[in-house]
Amino acid sequence: MGEERQVMIETIDLHKYFKDQHVLKGISVKIYKGEVVAIIGPSGAGKSTFLRCINRLEEPSSGKIYIEGVDITSPRVDMNKIRSEIGFVFQSYNLFPHLTAIENIKLAPVHVRKIPEKEAEQKGLELLKKVGLEDKAHAYPDQLSGGQQQRVAIARALAMQPHMIFFDEPTSALDPEMIREVLDVMQNLAAEGMTMLVVSHELGFIREAATRVLVLADGCVIEEGLPRQLFNNPQHPRTKEFLSKIL
Amino acid sequence: MKTKNNEALKENCLEKTTWKERYGHWPWYRRYEFILVSFLALIAFGFALPRPGLPETLFQWLFIVFYLLLFLVWAGLILIDVEKPNWIKAIAATLILSLFGWLFYRYSGAQWDKLGYAFFNWKVLSETGSYGSTVTGWAELFQGLLITLQIAIFSAIFGTILGLFLAVFRSLNDPILNAFIIIWVDFFRAMPIIVLMMIIYYALPYLNITLSSTVSGIMALSLNSSAYISEIFRAGIESIHHNQVEAARSLGLTTMQTMRLVILPQAMRVVMPPLTSNYVAMLKDTAICSSIAIMELLKTAITLQAWKANPTPLVAATIIYLIILLPLARISTVLENKMKSKGITRSIRRQPKAA
Repeated sequence: MGEERQVMIETIDLHKYFKDQHVLKGISVKIYKGEVVAIIGPSGAGKSTFLRCINRLEEPSSGKIYIEGVDITSPRVDMNKIRSEIGFVFQSYNLFPHLTAIENIKLAPVHVRKIPEKEAEQKGLELLKKVGLEDKAHAYPDQLSGGQQQRVAIARALAMQPHMIFFDEPTSALDPEMIREVLDVMQNLAAEGMTMLVVSHELGFIREAATRVLVLADGCVIEEGLPRQLFNNPQHPRTKEFLSKIL
Repeated sequence: MKTKNNEALKENCLEKTTWKERYGHWPWYRRYEFILVSFLALIAFGFALPRPGLPETLFQWLFIVFYLLLFLVWAGLILIDVEKPNWIKAIAATLILSLFGWLFYRYSGAQWDKLGYAFFNWKVLSETGSYGSTVTGWAELFQGLLITLQIAIFSAIFGTILGLFLAVFRSLNDPILNAFIIIWVDFFRAMPIIVLMMIIYYALPYLNITLSSTVSGIMALSLNSSAYISEIFRAGIESIHHNQVEAARSLGLTTMQTMRLVILPQAMRVVMPPLTSNYVAMLKDTAICSSIAIMELLKTAITLQAWKANPTPLVAATIIYLIILLPLARISTVLENKMKSKGITRSIRRQPKAA
């Protein structure tokens, strides 16, 4: 890596308390442009909380977060603008049930980016094609399978042309036969050079697409490394224990 | 799938047998012979009832009540019997209702011969209306109806706008703002509408705030309904899963955009049935406006009644109220049932809990 890589996300000593519960205990990581970072770890380790703190769906209790150099923990920052640059894909898809797939996708471009309706529709259809659902543009979420809903949710996140996308366990609510279709979409995204932060236990996907793996346990990053290296030769005893359970 | 399986299971396990098939005979009180004989006995017993007119002695009262109870027991034996066909139950129910009617007709002491002249004297309404009027009573009632509808519609509009704002501000969860909204809602829910109306119309002029009676009426009804409607909207907003807010905010939508584009459209579905029944209730409450001399339907009817010394206008007003309100009440029930069968909203379904 001769040239300087752009830092997309930097967290410094990030803490999060839920009442008395200390969920994140000082997480400091740097994520560079084009990286696909997988976050794994036992349940309750704070993986989702970490992700949600970075775009302030949860308020971090202390610490600093820089998104593309902007300190988003400062009260003066326009959080809506920052959030519009970060795609977020939820475990439970969270599509808007009163809108069709295409309406879901164009809602934010039209109302946040102020893109003309027609143009947004055009872009939305392209994105649906990209996730393989061009024929479902006018279906409502409850007419779609879980996998299809999640792909629409990814298209919705992409419609804002975000600089990075976070995936919060995108496949864990899906039936096994639907996981593949979602992972394929994610893999294509990774191949295009999108910066991605993925909380997932899909080891196949992580092996193929991830450039780095963070292991979170009890609110700390206990280990990080290349996927192959980490899976084959874990150092920390907690990592060993965890991997032995899911491998 | 599940219910179908259960039904199949039931059919296999429980044989469909009647009492007769299981025990060889019905008990005496379930047999048709007994029902017929006891019915004839009751009819015969009816001849011993006191003569028509308001009963004079306590004994006569007790006798009538006793007769009614006997009949109730007789009908009850039929109605609670699951093996009796429905047509017999229908006859029993009709009989008991007719008996109530007949006993009231016979012993209320009312002068029934006056019914037509007093209640259904339509001539009264086709003459010119009350003092100084040039139009018929019907035209006056129609005019009153228009004012009633006008008051109801304006109150519904203002009440809904106000209630919606209260609910939206409430959802911001600002403690100070919430305290004010809670006080507002509690105050107007506790306040009887008629008292509120009289305060606005009769008391405020002493502070040199003089409002016309119609404005006072609309104001009182709007303020009152704003409290109820804001609670309805609040329930609707709170029924939308927090996931939806997160999804919207993660796309960069502002709080107000999230409310307008994501939450409220979904909440509308939940809110529609209770909102409709609230409007029905408010349309009924417009009758209270007659207490501050607004010439709406009820006040017009009462004025006509006083002027003509005949209650037919009131009966006509009753019928007009029912013609308008019965379909509305039905619609709100239908909406409610539709809602129940649908589950609450689409959004609540199929959303696994986030880890």
